[in-house]
Amino acid sequence: MKITFQNNEAKFLARIADTSVILAQRLAELCSKAPFLEEDIAISNCSLDLFGRAEELYKIIGVIEGNVHTPDDYVFRRNEREFYNIKLVEQPNEDFAWTVARQFMHDVWAKEVFTQLLDSKNEELVGLSQKVLKEINYSLQHNRDWMYRLGLGTEESNSRLQVAVDHLLKYIEEIFSFDELDRTYLSDCKKLESIWQNEINLVLSEVNIERKEIEPLSMRDFRDGFHSEHIGHLLSIMQYLPRAYPDAKWS
Amino acid sequence: MVIIPLNKEPKHIWDILSEVPDPEIPVINLVELGVIREVIENGDELTVTITPTYTGCPAKKLFEDLILEKLEEKGYSNVKIITKLAPAWNTDWLSEATKDKLMKEGISPPTDDNKIVVCPHCKSSNTKTISPFGSTPCQSFHSCIDCLEPFNYFKCHR
Repeated sequence: MKITFQNNEAKFLARIADTSVILAQRLAELCSKAPFLEEDIAISNCSLDLFGRAEELYKIIGVIEGNVHTPDDYVFRRNEREFYNIKLVEQPNEDFAWTVARQFMHDVWAKEVFTQLLDSKNEELVGLSQKVLKEINYSLQHNRDWMYRLGLGTEESNSRLQVAVDHLLKYIEEIFSFDELDRTYLSDCKKLESIWQNEINLVLSEVNIERKEIEPLSMRDFRDGFHSEHIGHLLSIMQYLPRAYPDAKWS
Repeated sequence: MVIIPLNKEPKHIWDILSEVPDPEIPVINLVELGVIREVIENGDELTVTITPTYTGCPAKKLFEDLILEKLEEKGYSNVKIITKLAPAWNTDWLSEATKDKLMKEGISPPTDDNKIVVCPHCKSSNTKTISPFGSTPCQSFHSCIDCLEPFNYFKCHR
């Protein structure tokens, strides 16, 4: 059974749902392994929010698509090329600075995406957006704080954050290479990019992190199901159990 | 602030639902928590509309199971549960009486935008945040600078 999205709105929402679930899985990897207890709880809570957000989005997608598939099908029965998440969120937890910078960059993006989805004609999506914006704000505030603590902390923390930012920024360009679906379902694509760039530039300059010129990687677009090498490893762990035991249920 | 007056009819069903404790904070029930939004009784069929607190709250599924279990125990077996996300749950739906219950249980109740967090043990507002994330999605972790006791705080969420 190959799962495809027929409806354009479903195709567009799959990008956001997939981004949420892949990032949720990345954060869940740190459960019981974070640098210290309070942060372990924080990361696990943010992971739960993202899993919940993804689940609700897959339900909305399921309704649009005529209830052919469940959230379980979408998460556990698709292969690499059938996922449409932004590559940023599949980047690994190389160290804590990577986790913080990745989350910060994602949260700034997600906040404006869901703000724009408040204008959607889909009532369920508007209700969900109102709900998740509160959760995103809380996560954003937490990770923004960490950007300052790491950037302005010690020489070591600053240099590690610099390495993380240098790597992650390579995966940003594609996010703003909007296509027709983005322009249809987001109310203002240009604004999404300018808000993101302004906020990232502001914080990086305030925390003494340099924003280096990124050489184009000639990467193929996440919108066509292209990924970095990390996605397969992530999926193999996330999907192992339901693929081994097909009657197991997530929701 | 979004406060939506609830139509708490039929009363005998709402009374039964008031017997279902929040699985994570059992001192308050699901009606007090504000997750039950509407009950419609049609012959022997009941439709209960609920809304989750946080989208990823692990207790979400348990809410449904506990509601079904309690209604079944009281003789209602034909029950449908609908989940609605809008209007979004928020802590302004907790009544003053519910907040008092939380305080007595040692959980500091939500205050206006988290500006003042009161110690549930000595009632001092001289407290500090230990962790903005706590044991459940709706709580954060604090300690009192005056009496030194640690405590949970039910976060303002609006």
